[in-house]
Amino acid sequence: MTIEVRGLTKRYGEKTAVDDLTFTVRPGTVTGFLGPNGAGKSTTMRLIVGLDAPTSGSVTVNGRHYARHPAPLAEVGTLLEARSVHTGRSAYKHLLALALTHGIPRGRVAEVIEAVGLAGAARKRAGGFSLGMGQRLGIAAALLADPAAVVLDEPVNGLDPEGVRWIRTLLKELAAQGRTVFVSSHLMSEMALTAERLVIVGRGRLLADTTVAEFVRSAGHDEVSVTSPEAGRLRELLAGPGVEVASDAPGVLRVRGVGAEDIGLTAAAHGVPLFELTPHRVSLEEAFMELTRDAVEYHAHGAGRPAEVAA
Amino acid sequence: MSAPSPVAPGPGGAGTGARGGAGGYRVTYPGVLRSEWSKLWSLRSTWYSLAAVVVLAVGLGVAVGATFTDGGGDGPQDPVEVTLLGLNFGLLILPVLGILTTAGEWSTGMVRSTMAAVPRRLPVLWAKAAVFGAVSFVLMLATALATFPLAQAFLADTPIAAGLGDPGVARALLTTAVGAALIAVLGVAVGALLRSTPASIGAFVGVLMVVPNVAPLLPYGWVEDAVAYTPLAAMQPLAAAHPAPDLPGVGAALVSMAVWTAAGLAAAALRLRRSDV
Ligand SMILES: Nc1ncnc2c1ncn2[C@@H]1O[C@H](COP(=O)(O)OP(=O)(O)O)[C@@H](O)[C@H]1O
Ligand SMILES: [Mg+2]
Repeated sequence: MTIEVRGLTKRYGEKTAVDDLTFTVRPGTVTGFLGPNGAGKSTTMRLIVGLDAPTSGSVTVNGRHYARHPAPLAEVGTLLEARSVHTGRSAYKHLLALALTHGIPRGRVAEVIEAVGLAGAARKRAGGFSLGMGQRLGIAAALLADPAAVVLDEPVNGLDPEGVRWIRTLLKELAAQGRTVFVSSHLMSEMALTAERLVIVGRGRLLADTTVAEFVRSAGHDEVSVTSPEAGRLRELLAGPGVEVASDAPGVLRVRGVGAEDIGLTAAAHGVPLFELTPHRVSLEEAFMELTRDAVEYHAHGAGRPAEVAA
Repeated sequence: MSAPSPVAPGPGGAGTGARGGAGGYRVTYPGVLRSEWSKLWSLRSTWYSLAAVVVLAVGLGVAVGATFTDGGGDGPQDPVEVTLLGLNFGLLILPVLGILTTAGEWSTGMVRSTMAAVPRRLPVLWAKAAVFGAVSFVLMLATALATFPLAQAFLADTPIAAGLGDPGVARALLTTAVGAALIAVLGVAVGALLRSTPASIGAFVGVLMVVPNVAPLLPYGWVEDAVAYTPLAAMQPLAAAHPAPDLPGVGAALVSMAVWTAAGLAAAALRLRRSDV
């Protein structure tokens, strides 16, 4: 069962939350939906289950609009970011209310409560739940109808380390059962651990539709840090197709696309003195930051990569 | 919390597409009705509010019956109107509770779960209206049937003594319950239309209680006539065994209340279909 997003756009007044997104989420693997805060992940997920209507474009699950399915909860189980529970109702009654709409037996309600580890709190009012218990209740609701796909918005939010591990195992197991698993996060590190495929967004736009392995490979190319009193000249000498040269400080270059050896040889051939020549690998997190740098809505000053200055 | 194991596939069977439901799962109208029934009774506010309706109606009915003196023309002089005075509290409590059944979904965020389960949305509105209308009707009828003879037990030798078999009495008890149910459902509609409990209560009090009291001050006769057909005013003939001749007839009052409630539901349905949840 696939989720197909086609030219999906959602505007709230002037604000474009989702901008012409196109991608497909396939069964059998965990697809990570990655992007900084405000990238439009939660909005996209609400659009998938029809809580919001797209301004243009479309999204189908299993070939049809979510609302056109006779048993929507059996198609897509959803955990939304915003609280979606009546605070005055117990966990059991909350799930029962959802189950009754679909004719899901009470036994299944008890089963999912047990599975998410809420058995002890099932009769307590959901209003008193901690963030972590609330997440577990949301996941119980998502699994209730034994759905062919699950869409989970930042499921590890508020969970303790043990809960986080449980989610990772759960997601992989759901995928191994042949289900479609679409899970959002703003943390590359989290996705690297759980996801196989990656859909990366920033400011509502698609930045990458790839696999974690591919992303690691492309991100993992060496970067060489070069310090030279003639950095400007060296930059010109290194220029060529596939070569990227950036500079964070006067006299210091960050070079991609050429190895340390070649840089040293070029410098020697032209009599450019070098004070430092250090190769290092770009981390996954850095690669993600790089990709989404222009798409982050609000930069924290001083955080992340320093602004570039001319060499 | 202990480490829970991941979930084993349930009877629905994963990845089957569940077309028509491999596990037989399917959204149906009876299912949505059952869900809304369960939702109503699983909130404490429902029990408290409905208990208050009954206690106030019976208590006030007995109090009024016990202290009734045939003091002449200024008080109500109708055997049903007097004994069921306390049911008026129900006409305030029920619509507020109706507002909570819908607006409360938005204020808590529950609506996102509800509409994800029933993404066609309108069945939820109809089910809420049907469940709450039926509950209100049964509760008000039962309360009226209990209160009337209790209060009348004190009124044997007064001009407003009457039994269930007397002309107009049974009809008044029945139309009281019908009218109350329609007002309760109007509350459901207003809550779904405005999606905010305070705004809905404000609108309800403003449009149905303040405006009808203030509007007749305008120097137009037709305004006063029109006000008699607003929901709370239209309850007057419905709650009397012998409605005053200057009031709208029972049939006209029922029709106008039904129109108000239908209009409210139509507006709520339109908003539900058109706007994001
Ligand atoms: N209902 C809404 N009304 C107005 N703006 C919204 C609404 N929902 C989201 N937005 C805006 O759309 C953008 C994307 O939000 P969101 O989908 O929540 O991003 P993410 O989940 O990736 O953090 C944000 O700028 C947010 O403020
Ligand atoms: Mg979000």
